[in-house]
Amino acid sequence: MTNITFKLAWRNLWRRKRRTWLTVGAMVFSNIILVFLISMQLGMYGMMIENTLRAQTGHLQIQAPGYKDELKMRQVVPEVSALAAGIRRELGSDVVSARASAFALVSSAERSYGLMISGVEPEYEARVSSLPGLVTEGRFLEDSMAEEIVIGSVLSRNLRAGVGDELTIIGSGRDGSFAAAVVTVVGIFESGAPDMDRSFAEVPLGFFQDTFYMDDAGHSVVIMSPTLIGVGALKTRVEGLLPADADLVVHDWDTLLPGLKQSIQADFVSAWFMYGILIVLVAFSVLNTQLMSVLERTKEFGITLSLGVTPGRLGRLVLLESSLMGAIGLILGMVFGGALVLWLGHTGFTYPGLEEMAGKFNLPGRIYPQFSAVGLLMGPVILLLASMAASIYPALRIHWLEPVAAMRTAE
Amino acid sequence: MNQFKIVLRLAWRNLWRNHRRTLIMIAAIVIGAWSMIFMTALMRGMVDDMIADGIGVLPGHVQIHHPDYRDDPTIANVIAPPTGELLEALDGPGVVAWATRVRVPAVISSERDTRGVTLIGIEPDREHDISFVAGDIAEGEFLSSRDDRGLIVGRKLVEKLDTGLDKRVVIMSQDQENEIADRGFRIVGIFESKLAQYEEGFVFAGEAVIQELLGVGDAISEVAILGSDYRDVEDLYRSIEAAAGDGVEVLPWNELDTYLGSMLAMMDGFVIVFIVVVFLALSFGLVNTLVMAVFERVREIGLMLALGMTPRTILAQIVTESVLLLMIGLAIGNVAAIATIEPLKGGIDVSIVGEGMEMMGASSVLYPALYLKDIVMANLIVIVLGFFASLSPAWRASRYDPIRAITKV
Amino acid sequence: MNSVTCKQLCKTYHQGDIEVIGLDHVDLEINEGGFVCLSAPSGGGKTTLLNAIGGLDTPDSGEIWLAGEQIDKLGKSELARMRLNRIGFVFQAYNLIPVLTARENIEFVMEVQGVPAEDREKRSTEILAEVGLEGLGDRRPAQMSGGQQQRVAVARAIVSKPALVLADEPTANLDSHTAEQLMELFVELNEHHGTTFVIATHDQRVMRYAKRVIHMLDGKVVEDERRDVA
Repeated sequence: MTNITFKLAWRNLWRRKRRTWLTVGAMVFSNIILVFLISMQLGMYGMMIENTLRAQTGHLQIQAPGYKDELKMRQVVPEVSALAAGIRRELGSDVVSARASAFALVSSAERSYGLMISGVEPEYEARVSSLPGLVTEGRFLEDSMAEEIVIGSVLSRNLRAGVGDELTIIGSGRDGSFAAAVVTVVGIFESGAPDMDRSFAEVPLGFFQDTFYMDDAGHSVVIMSPTLIGVGALKTRVEGLLPADADLVVHDWDTLLPGLKQSIQADFVSAWFMYGILIVLVAFSVLNTQLMSVLERTKEFGITLSLGVTPGRLGRLVLLESSLMGAIGLILGMVFGGALVLWLGHTGFTYPGLEEMAGKFNLPGRIYPQFSAVGLLMGPVILLLASMAASIYPALRIHWLEPVAAMRTAE
Repeated sequence: MNQFKIVLRLAWRNLWRNHRRTLIMIAAIVIGAWSMIFMTALMRGMVDDMIADGIGVLPGHVQIHHPDYRDDPTIANVIAPPTGELLEALDGPGVVAWATRVRVPAVISSERDTRGVTLIGIEPDREHDISFVAGDIAEGEFLSSRDDRGLIVGRKLVEKLDTGLDKRVVIMSQDQENEIADRGFRIVGIFESKLAQYEEGFVFAGEAVIQELLGVGDAISEVAILGSDYRDVEDLYRSIEAAAGDGVEVLPWNELDTYLGSMLAMMDGFVIVFIVVVFLALSFGLVNTLVMAVFERVREIGLMLALGMTPRTILAQIVTESVLLLMIGLAIGNVAAIATIEPLKGGIDVSIVGEGMEMMGASSVLYPALYLKDIVMANLIVIVLGFFASLSPAWRASRYDPIRAITKV
Repeated sequence: MNSVTCKQLCKTYHQGDIEVIGLDHVDLEINEGGFVCLSAPSGGGKTTLLNAIGGLDTPDSGEIWLAGEQIDKLGKSELARMRLNRIGFVFQAYNLIPVLTARENIEFVMEVQGVPAEDREKRSTEILAEVGLEGLGDRRPAQMSGGQQQRVAVARAIVSKPALVLADEPTANLDSHTAEQLMELFVELNEHHGTTFVIATHDQRVMRYAKRVIHMLDGKVVEDERRDVA
């Protein structure tokens, strides 16, 4: 019996070809937009997170409590290199690196600038940060005790200092006392983010600890996770690896950079406002079509009812018709939308204003949308559900039909 | 005119023949129209505030500075204070307010901590009209004059430095001979800002005091100029550029901060795209409604053609029905949008994603901004595109062969 | 003076693969003021002839003259104008615009013709009375019986003072009593206004009222029965 019902539903759809195609057309149109935009968004978010975290923050950081907000020199992680090495051993991976940071005045022969200096482990920093790979002139740091520094391209310009020149560092040490050193520029990096290139520099950790009277302490251990989803589990694990008496906390990237997740959330929610409108409009279209279709068939339904078929069955027929339409809209929408994503994933996509915005969020000026199951399915599935919901009312109307009155309806 | 009245009357009555269908269509149009205007108002409000905040905080609408200053914003790149023709232009019409500043990177130290900041030497009486600071003093007082030896610091910075009102801090910066100049300052005022990075990154002092500290005489880093409307800086910019002569760089705000500058254009583009997309989604339903209506009336159309009406009149009739439908939906949608925006004028609190908003440069309270031009554009696009969308079913209706139509069983 | 003249009218039309001869060299003359029936079994060509005379359809060959004007070569918009001003139609069903009242249906053509409102109202009131529907002017078609609807159709056909009224099986959907009443109305109007009536039908009762019956078969005129000089 289901087979005939199915055939009946299908053929009913095509009684009014143009009407069905227009309704399906609305679904396909909306689905293409949904697939394209959602895929693009997800791709962008992934990249944003990836790029921003790779630049400096990492997925997890071990720090002294309070350091995140107060950034005081004396909030240290004791024996930081040993701790980092220990974690490396336990996790069996080397995407772990120790750091220390201070604010200092850096002077060349002609200029001085206040900026953030980080002491890093030369062998491991490249595993947790993209910065070492962005060195365009000279080289990155190699020896943990060497009196060397790498600076950003804009800073190099402003200081009028290049590879081989000497710079003076002046700041406050851990205990508040005067700290100073002379370093040689060995590398210049270009990250594309003006703030980085202008007000950031890196020196080897050992040398930093000496200069700023850190002993063997530092300010953080940066850890990367192989997947974004696995960060939570990794955090728990790392917490377990901390020495029992240590006064340390493990922060995940969301705590370190609350703005990142939030700006993604804000963007996603506001996008769903628009998607929601599209879906509602399509649902209205379906409501209209199905309601008209039901009303037109009043006489026919009346005859069917008097033959003994239940209203419930007829109602299900209407729902089935809507589902079929929705299924066509879903499949076609996914096919065309997916094709669009694939094509644009190949050629790239941009719009006016994107480049400038992109710079702020560590994104390239051209987007290459990624093909993903979520991006492909999310919008169209919700649209299908909405369409089916919209046809509940027309289906219910059948319940209120009285066979005799229905059959007497003027055509 | 006569024909038009007939067409109008028929169109109106035909709309209500199938009131369910018409009402559903109108409801859809109302939702579409409402969303267009509401969304646009929200986005515009956000961008307006972003730009106003961005401008208000520092650049002004137009800025004059040393050609190398943007790359290297230090004391090395200073210019002379405005004189002669430039001074005249600055005091002329089109300029609402202007002020000079000395702006350099510096280091601020309290007993407990040291931070990098941007030090700004200001002319308090002029600065009052330009930037945000004067209005946002939460504790203490604003500076009284260019010679005032006090310091204005942001609340977040005060907390980070573990210091407070009336306490002393040391400011270090590089002077023109590349020597470090430093001085003690007393914090006389604490300000709060919508955007945390300003609270943490900027400190203000008297211009003359800084000039003396850094040994630059009466040279300044920049002249900030405020016009009447940030959307319309072209004329102001040109006149200032002409008057400023060579040796300095003059830039309008949208080139100083390309991110903000592009926001405006992007917003305009986004609004149109949103409206068109929503309309297209509606149009399927609209055309469907018209096709159904025409289909039901085939015989009647044949009758009218037989009676001597021209095909053009039939076309006009269908199009009129469509336009009437759209106008009703738009009217209600517009009213609904305005009605929902009014109560929200007090602001929508999105502080739950506050830090995220800050990353984008926006504040954590959204104020919708209803612009007449946006409303007009939304309505216009819907009516015009709707007109064209209805041409297809209308044209088909007018092409019916009267005989075939009438004899249709 | 001849109201309608047809010379050697031919019309063939295609139903799928089959060629059907609608009109086969039809010659015809109808005088002004005539009351003529076109009689034929279904498919005999009466509707085709009526459509040709009424300018709804163009013959393949031959000439048609309507009130002194040759219409077989006219273009679509000219034919429309002619239908508007010179011809009244009464069909078997679906004569009225459902969303207009009886009076509005009657006034409709006059409005399109450009007749001023006062005149329209005057004439429609008169005609409503003449067809026996006074007081029912504000009803919509759905609120009237089949017979009443047909009367409104006739009223509309007459009110714009056409040269010719063409009726295609006007009584087919009516019961005998109502059909008789309708035909009596036709005759009355024909005598009162002098308008030529051409009625296509295969209903014997209808033919009883005609002064002249033209019998057709397979697109040809086979008999021209005159009961009175017309």
